[in-house]
Amino acid sequence: TTIMAVEFDGGVVIGADSRTTTGAYIANRVTDKLTPVHDRIFCCRSGSAADTQAVADAVAYQLAFHSVELEEPPRVRTAARLFQQSCYRYREELSAGIIVAGWDPRRGGQVYVVPMGGLLLRQPFAVGGSGSSYIYGFLDATFQPGMSRSQCQEFVAR
Amino acid sequence: SPMVTGTSVLGLKFSGGVMLAADTVGSFGSLARFRGISRLLKVNDSTVLGASGDLADFQHLRQLLEQMVIDEELLGDGHSYSPRALHSWLTRVLYNRRSKINPLWNTVLIAGVYGGESFLGYVDMLGVAYEAPSLATGFGAYLAQPLLRAELERDRDRLPTREEARELLERCLKVLYYRDARSFNRYEVATVTEKGVELEGPLTLEANWDIAHVV
Repeated sequence: TTIMAVEFDGGVVIGADSRTTTGAYIANRVTDKLTPVHDRIFCCRSGSAADTQAVADAVAYQLAFHSVELEEPPRVRTAARLFQQSCYRYREELSAGIIVAGWDPRRGGQVYVVPMGGLLLRQPFAVGGSGSSYIYGFLDATFQPGMSRSQCQEFVAR
Repeated sequence: SPMVTGTSVLGLKFSGGVMLAADTVGSFGSLARFRGISRLLKVNDSTVLGASGDLADFQHLRQLLEQMVIDEELLGDGHSYSPRALHSWLTRVLYNRRSKINPLWNTVLIAGVYGGESFLGYVDMLGVAYEAPSLATGFGAYLAQPLLRAELERDRDRLPTREEARELLERCLKVLYYRDARSFNRYEVATVTEKGVELEGPLTLEANWDIAHVV
């Protein structure tokens, strides 16, 4: 899997490949690894498909409940924190590397990464999944802070 | 088992206080994945804590500590946790987790100045705890501790000055950068004195590769 998310002024651009494998067989070649957990908050899933889907469903439920109580759209940070709580508590049982990205009225576009182990970190851009190792070099060389929306889209597509 | 980890933390007492130094990288195995992480934490105005090991567990510890400090401030009785008290508390927490076979995979240095006395303590994930005038975790225990001790033993009558201590820590960090495969050349330094806590960083180490010409 290769997943990534980039923040820009006004939102985030997220991208992912579409392959799920069982061993060497490609079980699904049109997977959607970018799952919404709320209207303007998505998560990019890597690791075990079952684990990440289960956690994402749980977080989507918690967020929906929370936003009804709050009577306003939830913060991206809240979504990321909810992911972190599940991923840290069950770190021995789960295999999940997640990137939470979205937009909220308070802080604009934000990207948070919750790698395996359950650490929570905010970053201007994040990559994850087994394929991410191959692009670290490219990313370090090409990324610049303060890119526009179309520059971000191009960056992610590349 | 640890996932994203931090490497060595160094601690040194000087005349006037204590200093901690750590680099700012979180490694995912051999990959230097997160290069802007702060591993030094200001607990209160008299104490800092530096952690190596699993960073998710460090974040958990940080939340526990922050909550403790808030609760204490709410009491409003003018007392704050002394570095020694925090060290003792942390030892209990880590030992208890280890005894449940679910350790917080961290090695922690606590540094502070309280009641005119400076304190530097070590606690690891097994609950082993001790104090010394110079301490280092991880690789630092092998590479930096001898350098720190040599400096302290050179003149047993006095502790190094603040500048000497700072220079020594930077020299140690440089050695660690040369020889520790999980280190990085960006680092932070925390200094605690009677006046309080100062956190500096991120700073960058200049590496010297001149000896390459001799090869």
